[in-house]
Amino acid sequence: MAKFVLMLPHAPDRYTKLGEAEFMDLMKDYIGWVEEMSAKGKFEGGEKLLDEGGKIVTNKSGSIEVHDGPFAEVAEILGGYMVINAEDYDEAVEIARSHPHMKHNETIIIRQTDASADE
Amino acid sequence: MSVAGDIHKLLDETVRRERGWLISSLVSKFGPAKVELVEDVAQDAIVKALATWPYKGVPENPRAWLRRVAGNAALDRVRRSAREFGVDDEWDFATEEPDVITPSLSDPELDLMVLCCDPAIEPKDQLFLALKTVCGFTVAETAALFFMSEDALFQRLARAKRKLKAQSGELARFPTRFALHARLPQLLKVIYLMFAWGFLPRRGQDLYREDICREALRLSDGLFAATEGKAAGHHALHALLLFQMSRLPARVSADGQLITLEHQDRTLWDQDKIFDAVQHLEAAKSSDTLTRYHLEAGIASMHAQAPTWAQTDWASISRLYELLNARTPSLAVLVNWAVSLMLQGELNQAEDALNTARALPGAEAFPAYHLARAKLAELRGDDAGARTARELAIACQTSAPVAAHIVHELGLEG
Repeated sequence: MAKFVLMLPHAPDRYTKLGEAEFMDLMKDYIGWVEEMSAKGKFEGGEKLLDEGGKIVTNKSGSIEVHDGPFAEVAEILGGYMVINAEDYDEAVEIARSHPHMKHNETIIIRQTDASADE
Repeated sequence: MSVAGDIHKLLDETVRRERGWLISSLVSKFGPAKVELVEDVAQDAIVKALATWPYKGVPENPRAWLRRVAGNAALDRVRRSAREFGVDDEWDFATEEPDVITPSLSDPELDLMVLCCDPAIEPKDQLFLALKTVCGFTVAETAALFFMSEDALFQRLARAKRKLKAQSGELARFPTRFALHARLPQLLKVIYLMFAWGFLPRRGQDLYREDICREALRLSDGLFAATEGKAAGHHALHALLLFQMSRLPARVSADGQLITLEHQDRTLWDQDKIFDAVQHLEAAKSSDTLTRYHLEAGIASMHAQAPTWAQTDWASISRLYELLNARTPSLAVLVNWAVSLMLQGELNQAEDALNTARALPGAEAFPAYHLARAKLAELRGDDAGARTARELAIACQTSAPVAAHIVHELGLEG
């Protein structure tokens, strides 16, 4: 069983203009899915990233500079990520298809973790 | 129940309960003038706290978790805007609150109920405010309970909060025993309405919300402890709640359909609750004021005593509805009265009651009204009329299980 990371981006204003009832409905879908995947042993964990804030540290100009995250200009921000268990990319894609993120947002980015150093 | 269904129920219950608790606790600290700010703080804190659940799953003890995390988030916000709140920033949020609040007026939720029932606020607005803040109902739920539009309710809530803000000082924060006594009838009404929502939600997926029913019963218990049952009608109200609660186990079929009184397995009724209800109804008889709760509890006791639907004392029940209608005419009362008349074959009287009901606002949106029309048409052999009335009942905006029940009961599937 391999591990895959699901990255869940959303539009910057996706959740700021939602009413409470709509937000709760979204939550129910997401939480329900996570509980179901956990029960099946497919869900490993995840982190919600804070929508506000963010830093970029760079040494492009030769010395280290720190910038605030360029969130205002981007089309999507990374809302969080989840780690799932799947046999291969086919299964990971199948799982992503059932993800409520596909109902409420547009994109899921899937990457397999490199397990070669594990044991 | 499915995983998704469990989650749905858990979230609804937890959020409603904790929002009520958080608002009540904050208002008891900052006073009614800050009720609007407190509502915002509580809502933000809960939403923020919940936002991690989709990534982490539901915590072991969701209520304790939400209480801790949302409580801390609220405290942070309060500290940041201490001046706005008019408090010093040394205040510490009580994190060690016991999960089951001791029923007494030291209960912040009861305290907030008393505040909301301020006579400076219009009586109806008092109810809206209490249900919205204390009971943790959303604007949509509160609006549905009163057959109102969300916009109209929103405006009335804003007006009520302005009035509440204008009340300042210690007296507004801690009403005297005298003020408490004067507000008791309204407090009973809040409990009654809260229970009514839990017993038959008018929106959503649930057939009943037992958490809300139990909460209403708990608040009623708490009020007993604080007032020694002196409020006229309190015993009767408590009896009514217990009678209704006793039937909950028989109200839902294995596949989640609503079972009406007529078809319930009466052996499933909770006899302990019925016993307690009868005690309270006895105590209610010594009250020198007759309230609507006496009449409603009387009706409920007739059902509790009847061995079967057919052997129910319909004559007494319709007499009680008649009295109830004379005191507090309402859509639900008229419709139920009409049904009890039909069951005794008094079709013309039943039609009169339904015609009166039709003139009331909200009749067309009340499924029970159309169902009663359908029954009347059926008894008169008017199949086409019955069918039209049933279709109107289904078209009413109502909770999904109730709509499903109507469809099932009336054989309109497929």
